[in-house]
Amino acid sequence: MKKFSIVLGTLILTVCLCSTALAGEAQDRLKVGIENVINILADASLKGPAKRDVRQQKLRAVADGFFDWRELSRRAAAEGWKKFTPKQQDDFVASFSELLQKTYVRKLEKYNNEKVEYLGEQIADNQAFLKTQVALKDKTIPINYVMIKHSQWMVYDVVVEGVSLVKNYRTQFAKILSRETPDALILRIKDKIKSLDAGKNVDDVAS
Amino acid sequence: MMSHEKATPMHILSRSLLATLALTLLCSSVALATGAAQTTTAAPASVAQKPEAPSLLLAYGDVDIWDETGQIIKKPAKGEKMTMSDAAAATPDPLEGWNRMWFGFNDKLYFWAMKPVAQGYSAVIPERPRIWVGNFFHNLMFPVRFVSLMLQGKPDAAAVETSRFIGNTAFGLGGFADITADSKPYKPIGSTEKDLGLTFGYWGMDNGMYLVWPFIGPSSARDTVGYAGDYFLTPISYIHPWYWSVATKGYDKINEVSMRIGDYESLKEASVDPYEAVRDAYLRNRYKKIND
Repeated sequence: MKKFSIVLGTLILTVCLCSTALAGEAQDRLKVGIENVINILADASLKGPAKRDVRQQKLRAVADGFFDWRELSRRAAAEGWKKFTPKQQDDFVASFSELLQKTYVRKLEKYNNEKVEYLGEQIADNQAFLKTQVALKDKTIPINYVMIKHSQWMVYDVVVEGVSLVKNYRTQFAKILSRETPDALILRIKDKIKSLDAGKNVDDVAS
Repeated sequence: MMSHEKATPMHILSRSLLATLALTLLCSSVALATGAAQTTTAAPASVAQKPEAPSLLLAYGDVDIWDETGQIIKKPAKGEKMTMSDAAAATPDPLEGWNRMWFGFNDKLYFWAMKPVAQGYSAVIPERPRIWVGNFFHNLMFPVRFVSLMLQGKPDAAAVETSRFIGNTAFGLGGFADITADSKPYKPIGSTEKDLGLTFGYWGMDNGMYLVWPFIGPSSARDTVGYAGDYFLTPISYIHPWYWSVATKGYDKINEVSMRIGDYESLKEASVDPYEAVRDAYLRNRYKKIND
């Protein structure tokens, strides 16, 4: 009886430990990524406008580590993706991810020690859906991440207050691609990046 | 002597039973903790029943596993690749040119008038009093939330809203202090941030078409009707003479904008077609709020 209970106990413990280890994998990747971003933003030696370029480079390196830009771009381009030539696809991924990084970094620069809470994850095959929320001073904002595992877990969509990043761009890209060529779309994205670079500290970007 | 000999194996048995019990408890609590967010409350099916308008999104081959709220999309039938949120975002926009004109107008209104005023205001008034003012106006909008919740058949949530209103009005300096913010109802009631447009949506009404109004911003045919109804449920609408009513609403708006400077800018910065980006975000966000 004693032996049996020990075996049973060990078995339950093993199953228990295994399941938690599996369940946490995607979330751990996301957590590490977000924590690295927060560390850079909180780093006193990287603060101030003078350090902007260094800071942005570091943030970009971190974001590259847990965002799957190709998957994200492919899904945002949706059916347009199949019409792109391989070179256009590469070009599109490069420019779109740069636009996202630039605007993402700008949003993050306003970060002010808000707390990120992890509310749980769901996994199906090689994809994961993670719920988090960020507490601001007068409200909390739900932010969900969708991740995919090719070699490791990478984020390919962010859903803020019910609005999916990929789908929001999909609507815009579909609209443009219905009237213009893929090259024109890529050019538009590049122009957008240029205008962001030109008016670095200006909030108002002319339409 | 006899009893003592017998007691030892019993003791081991009960101890091992206890250990197993403890382990099971531990496991289930861990499972609960990790799986807590997975259990979803009863909500409408996440797959659009009959997507009407043939959309570009429909032709897109990749089926998503989850909708925007993390609900699993169950076995989409052929041609059903849209989530309910996608269906909402595919709301027709027959007056696009007209809407784009007002979108441009509101954009200028924001950058030329509201933003500078809000910036000046927030330079003079610190953040905390601005939050109090926000609380005051939010508290005052209680009738809109109460009526909407009752019309949605959520008396529990309406009751919670009522007690918050009474508590904040009586003991929170007329609503300036949100003293009930930390008191949670003993069972979850969902979001109480409702208006009539969301109520019509909850009843199953479609957006109709997308509309942009000057000063008010993005809306839809459904939400416009809701907005008109909300007007009559807003106490500030009854301030006499009318220009004081408008001025008060304007002040509420400026106070709100002062808390959100930068949000619209970053959305506009990040998008290739700001009009489409705002349209998609508005329709999806409204859809999410209906089900919150």
